[in-house]
This record gives sequence, C-alpha cells and structure tokens, in this order.
Amino acid sequence: MPALSLAPYVVKKPWLMSMLKPLANWYANAAGYRQLGLRADDLISEEDETVLLALKRLPASERYDRIFRIRRATQLSIQHKLLPKNEWTKTEDDVPYLAPLIEQLEAEQKERDALEALSVMKNH
Amino acid sequence: MISRSVLSRGSQLALRRQNCAKLAQRGFAAAASENASYEPTNIAGVKVASRDDNGPTTRLAVVVKAGTRYEPLPGLAVGLEEFAFKNTQRRSALRIIRESELLGGQLNAYHTREALVLQANFLREDLPYFTELLAEVLSQTRYTTHEFHEEIESVIHQKQAKIGNADIALDAAHSVAFHTGLGNSLYPTPNTPISSYLNENSVAAYAEAVYNKANIAVIADGASQSGLSKWIEPFFKAVPASSSSQLNSAASKYYGGEQRIAKAGANAMVIAFPGSSLGASKAETAVLVGLLGGESNIKWSPGFSLLSKAAAAAPGAHVHATNYAYSDAGLMTIQITGPAAAIRKAAEESVKAIKSVVDGSVSKEDLTKAIAKAKFNLLSASEVSGTGLVHAGANLISGGNPLQVAETVKALESVTADKLKAAAKALLEGKASVAAVGDLHVLPFAEDIGLRV
Repeated sequence: MPALSLAPYVVKKPWLMSMLKPLANWYANAAGYRQLGLRADDLISEEDETVLLALKRLPASERYDRIFRIRRATQLSIQHKLLPKNEWTKTEDDVPYLAPLIEQLEAEQKERDALEALSVMKNH
Repeated sequence: MISRSVLSRGSQLALRRQNCAKLAQRGFAAAASENASYEPTNIAGVKVASRDDNGPTTRLAVVVKAGTRYEPLPGLAVGLEEFAFKNTQRRSALRIIRESELLGGQLNAYHTREALVLQANFLREDLPYFTELLAEVLSQTRYTTHEFHEEIESVIHQKQAKIGNADIALDAAHSVAFHTGLGNSLYPTPNTPISSYLNENSVAAYAEAVYNKANIAVIADGASQSGLSKWIEPFFKAVPASSSSQLNSAASKYYGGEQRIAKAGANAMVIAFPGSSLGASKAETAVLVGLLGGESNIKWSPGFSLLSKAAAAAPGAHVHATNYAYSDAGLMTIQITGPAAAIRKAAEESVKAIKSVVDGSVSKEDLTKAIAKAKFNLLSASEVSGTGLVHAGANLISGGNPLQVAETVKALESVTADKLKAAAKALLEGKASVAAVGDLHVLPFAEDIGLRV
C-alpha cells in the first residue's frame, strides 16, 4: 500500500507546482543520495516480489547503470567520502525509471484481483 | 362438456408444434443444399466470406496472408501468432481471456505455411463482442518487451520441444521442393538460429506490414450476413487499408531434390511430387491421393488403397498420401513413419504402387472407390469447420474465390483411368523431393527406390 501523497494534486496545478518545485529540489539535495551519485529510484527496496519483477523488465543498459551507481555509492559510503561536486546527480537526471514499471505491475495485480473477485450477474 | 378455452389451448399448442417442426425442417434442408460453400462479399473494404447453418455457435476467423511463406525473417510468423490476444491499447491480455471465458468463447491463433489464422468460437449472440476483439488484436496490439520475454519465448520453446521427426521430414521435403517461400520451415526447430531475428520490434514491424485490409479476410461460419455487415464496418475501421512495406511474395517454383538428416528417435520419410494448387484444383491429383490413400476406413482390414497394401507388406510402417495445396503450387506427399527397416520396405512398395498406376493395372472398381474417397475427403474437409475455414480464407487472401463444392465434385467424377495414368506418369518422370530423417544407415536414398531427384 503506497503512502498517501499530495503530489498528483500539486502536479495538476501549475502555479502550485512552480511554487513547491524549489522546495522539493532543496529537500532532495538535502537527502544526500545525489551526492553519492544515486537516483531516487535506486533507493526503492529490492526485497519485494513486485520490485524484483520490475527490475527484470528494465532494459539491459538501465539495469547495468543502476548496479554501477549502487556499487559506487556503497564504495563511497564505506570510505566516508562524497563524489566530486561535478559528478553529483543533476536534478534533470533524477528521473523515475523504475517507479512507472512498479505502478504498471501493481495495476496488473489489481486488475487480476478484481477479476478474481468478480461476481457475474446474468441479465436475463 | 369440454370448455372452449381448453380446446383452443390445445389447438394453439398443436399449431405451435407444427411451426416448430417446419422451422427445423427448413434449417436442415438449407444446410444441405445452398449453404455448403462460403459466400464471398466485401464489407467496408474487408473481404468477407460467410455461411450460415442457423446453428447456435459461430466460428469467426481472421485469415491473414502472413504464414511462414511471407515472413521476411525466420520465426516472425510464429512470433506474430504468439502475440495474438496479448495486451492491447485498450485492455490487458488477462482481461481478454477472462471476458471471453465469461462469454463461453474460445480464442485460438495458429498458422499454416501461407496464412495466419486468428479464430474465435462463441455463441451466436456474442458476434459484436468477438468482432470487436479480433479487430482490436489486428490494430491495437502493443507488442510489449516484457510479454515477449516472460510469455512468448517460453511458449515457443515448449512448442519447439514438441516438433517430431515426421514434422522435420515434411519441412525438409518442402524445403528441397520450393527452397524459399513455401520451403520455409513451418515451425523453427530448436537448432534454427532465430534469436537474432525474432524480437518484439521485428514482430511489430511484421504486424504493421501484414495487418491491413488488403491482406486479410474475415471468414464466418454460422453468423448471419446482416450481423456481419452491421458489426464489421464500425469495428474494422481502425485497421489500415494497405501498408507501405511490401511482402516477399515471389511466385513459387518447384525444384525437387533430396535431403537426409541423421537424428535419434523416431524415423520418418517423405516422398513428395508437385501436386495441385488451391486455385486450379487438378481433379486427377485428388483422385490419385484417394487411390494411394493409406489410412483404412474399415477396421481390421488394410482397405483397398494402394499405400495401405504397401504398408501391409512392411509391418510397423504407417504410410499415407496427402496433397498440400497452396495458392500457386501444391505438394503431393507420401509420408512414412515407423521402424527404419519397415520404412525402407514401405518406400519401395509405395513407388511400386505409383508405377502400377502408370502401367494401368488399376481396376475400374478401384477407380470408382478412389473417386468416392476423393469426394468424401473434399466434402468432409469443407464441412469440418476448422479446415474449411482456413481453405476459404487462403483462397480469398490469394485473390481467388472460396471452393465451390458442387463444381469440384463434378470435376472429380469426370476423372478417367487414362487421365489418372497420365498424371501418375508425369509424377515419376519429373523430379521428386525426398526427405529422410532418422537412422540413415537403413533409410534408402531416392535412387535406391527408383525415383529421380
């Protein structure tokens, strides 16, 4: 069950979006993962059937890049270091690449559950 | 005293029963006479052939000119077949299956060398739903990457595992007979390198090339003409009228030759000659196939046919003759399976059987039997909905008309012993296509059994 979010509502209103975007960017930078060269979607926990399947559906190059970022971040974490500033993840690079696949898989599962719980009404 | 209401009720019932009987009678009579052949029409640019026996179920099929013959890269026809009824822009594959299960329908996709068939069998009143579904599969399938990797590849591997040596022999015979086009293998074997050609993008490109109105025919068995013209027009609107990409449709040429494949497991041998095509259905070939036969119709007896006598001389061997008819060529085959030694003997006997037809040692009675058998083969094939459907579709997409049963039967009846002799002689004088799969130490070469390759 995903947490409640106001994001879809905010995205719909351009004026609200332009007001909150700098705040969101400040928060993401403060979270610290960008300084390790990660993207937000790299932080999604892998210990989940849906996420595992979504990872399988990633294109091969995306999968390789993801593993590279995670290994680099782990190494930096061990050494208590940050990347040089020019290698930090840029705002425009920090796009959701895995979340759409997870949403798609969740929609599939929801549809399957709905069909499984279907009750048939005859119209005669 | 009998009350008036009782009397009138009884008479009403009787009247109703009479009407019922009349209705039923009319239904049966119509099926036997007029509606045996498919009637071709054109609804909103789509070629449609239909027949209606007023039964409770309908078989609706889209026959597409997209069989293995037309595929630009190996395996694409198979990929397209497996992508049928998968996710579309409007609904998921799961929903398609569940909805048609709720309606009691069956969905099926299969391919022949020339045609790809998407078929739905369902109750008569569900025609709009399944017409919409078939049109949706043609125009809105998404060809997603994850479905290709998660579902389609594994199904193809499973089907490849089921390919037997008899299928390989038949494929090899087609291959030496026609080289490319019709010579393409019907299902790629596990040894065929298709992985570099077959992926969701190449399948989508092939679908774009073949799924258009110029290239498809809708065949309906058991649907009313009015229902078809009402529903095909709106639902098939999204199917493009034609495609910019050209199909590989070079005319077939017969080559002939021999191929031998060493393989463990069962043994199989195919002896093939140029046969009769769909359009110019040579009646002599059909009668010759009836005469050669192979499968007995009577229990505990080899029957009259020449090949079943040949098989009786080689215990364990199973022999039968078939004519594979395509739009511009045909292949008359004798397929032999069984233990290697028995196949060797049966192959020799089969060629002797054809030679005996050339010598004219076929009795008049056998000729009558063969004509009757050929007539039965024709009529039962056109009646059995699956075969009839595909034949009608194959004729339509290649530009001909569906099989006219009455005329073809007349042609069969006019075959004489001389015509048959000439046809058999032409077979032996021309080049044969011979394929042997299995234990090559025992299986004979074409020359050993007296054939020219």
